[in-house]
Amino acid sequence: MQFPRRQSTASQRGGMRFLLFSGGIIALTATMNQPAQALPSYARQTGQECTACHVGGFGPQLTAYGTRFKIGGYTDSNGESGHLPLSAMFVGSYTHTAKDQSEDAGPYAGANNNLVAQEVTAFLAGGLTKNLGTFVEAGYSGVDNVFALGEMDVRFASTVQLGGKDTVIGVTLNNNPSVTDPFNTLPAWRFPYASSDLAPTPAASTLLEGGLDGQVLGISAYGFWNDSVYAELGGYRSLSTSSLHSLGLAGDAGEIDGISPYWRLGYMKDNRKSAYSFGVFGLYSKLQPDRLSSEPTNNYQDIGVDASYQFLGTRRHIFTLFGSYIHEQQTLDNTFSAGDASSRDVTLQNFSLNGSYTYDQTYGITLGVINTWGDKDALLYQSDSRTGSPNSTAWILDANWTPFGKESSWGSPWANLRLGLQYTLYTEFNGASSNYDGSGRDAGDNNTLFTYVWLSL
Amino acid sequence: MMKTLTTIRFFKPLACASLFCLPMLTTVPAIAAGNAVSGADVYNAECADCHSLKAGKNKKGSSFVGLIGRTAGTVPGAKYSDAMKSSKIVWTPERIDAYITHPKQVVPGGSMKYDGLDDAKARADLIAFLATKS
Ligand code: HEC
Repeated sequence: MQFPRRQSTASQRGGMRFLLFSGGIIALTATMNQPAQALPSYARQTGQECTACHVGGFGPQLTAYGTRFKIGGYTDSNGESGHLPLSAMFVGSYTHTAKDQSEDAGPYAGANNNLVAQEVTAFLAGGLTKNLGTFVEAGYSGVDNVFALGEMDVRFASTVQLGGKDTVIGVTLNNNPSVTDPFNTLPAWRFPYASSDLAPTPAASTLLEGGLDGQVLGISAYGFWNDSVYAELGGYRSLSTSSLHSLGLAGDAGEIDGISPYWRLGYMKDNRKSAYSFGVFGLYSKLQPDRLSSEPTNNYQDIGVDASYQFLGTRRHIFTLFGSYIHEQQTLDNTFSAGDASSRDVTLQNFSLNGSYTYDQTYGITLGVINTWGDKDALLYQSDSRTGSPNSTAWILDANWTPFGKESSWGSPWANLRLGLQYTLYTEFNGASSNYDGSGRDAGDNNTLFTYVWLSL
Repeated sequence: MMKTLTTIRFFKPLACASLFCLPMLTTVPAIAAGNAVSGADVYNAECADCHSLKAGKNKKGSSFVGLIGRTAGTVPGAKYSDAMKSSKIVWTPERIDAYITHPKQVVPGGSMKYDGLDDAKARADLIAFLATKS
């Protein structure tokens, strides 16, 4: 593990979000932070269908229209009053891995074939005033049998004129670097949009991939000029262990020394029948793994690029292509001096690319690849990898059916449902394709079949 | 059908660029249907996010049912800018065409976040389609 003290939270987002170490430590915050949002309360507030903002009529993949709704602070409405900004969500799932895991997949799960009420969540989601809007998630995880705070994004936004063009300026109070991002390319919201909490996932991930998720509180200011140029700058500080405890969050990523800056620059063009975006982003963190000590810190410098394209047409045939690349430079003064790394300087990289097709806002299929690679370090990765390498490659195929979410739909705008079937294939896992752990486990043994029922109200 | 006719007549100059010009004048119903079909695609691509085809259903913009011939800013329950409410525009095909070409010029201070549709043929098809919903 490259983040010795991040074990309980260093979740990889997406298909690799949930770390289940041999010791069975669970990424609880990540569990609660499953990105899973097509919130009917937003549909009720705007009078619009889920399909206006979400590709395939179910969150969290945003259309260009949805991107603007988020940037606008979740407040846009059709002007009718009396909308309650409340939503609820349920995710039930079944997870099967090619081979049983060496230990139970969770405290309330077996080593394989686990059926679980993965998440029961309530959301405060919508406009509270004309300028103040929220996306706050709190709920119950059946995997860990706990209640906890999930993703939080509370924003204040308003539109001003800059150079004769509409410009949204806003601030957000949130608890995960990149959860604020309005494009589905950064870790907090990228594909896969649902994934198993009970399947093994690669050990190494960059800090931006959920390493600080839920462990921090940050404020960012952002601007969106002329519906095209997006800029955001924020700073994060660690929550105290007692706050984490009272929010129901286990695990400790360590403590940020000072403030961790997060920044993002993006450009988007909405041609209505199609849209594209591209940008750059970064996060810098000095982490003190042991909160009480005054030893040197481990420093993580993440820099990334991302791009997306969506063809919406008449909405009958929708194609999307999303990608991102993150480069992380680690300076592990702490881990190195403790003798747990053979070098101070380690790089880790992550590449994610996925393409999707959606028919009639109802049938969706997405193929994605997530690739992590970096310097070898026999000491740093010794507990997970025989080869001392962080390299992993996952191919993910997700097919889903979203019968509702359209104007004429049953239950609209009160309910929405997605049924999904997802297969994750690992060609490399923790540094090898075969016997990666030195005890005979192959990458393919972690191939995962995940079926889910995702209901939101 | 009368409204459709109005639509088509108005669009004669616009549509004359295309082969539809002549048949439009003579066999109105058939062509109206044809245009309305591609107009439905234009509606889905450009307007459906914000305007519903259900009576009484207001999204970001007002319902399109009965749009043609209606006075601007008068749908009960819909949210309008002061500029729209005081514009007193009557939504003839001509005014709709002008409005969706340059929303900000026709209703300065209006709140429709739409840049405009440059394609004259697409606008003509769309209006033919809207006429079938009026
Ligand atoms: C992003 C959302 C959005 C899109 C897309 C949109 N509109 Fe609008 N539309 C609005 C809003 C908001 C208003 C109210 C404007 C105001 O009050 O200034 C409006 C008003 C109108 C009106 C006046 C309605 C009335 O009841 O007086 C017409 C006509 C109209 N739009 C046509 C269109 C057409 C045609 C399209 C597609 C080419 C379209 N709009 C696309 C949001 C939208």
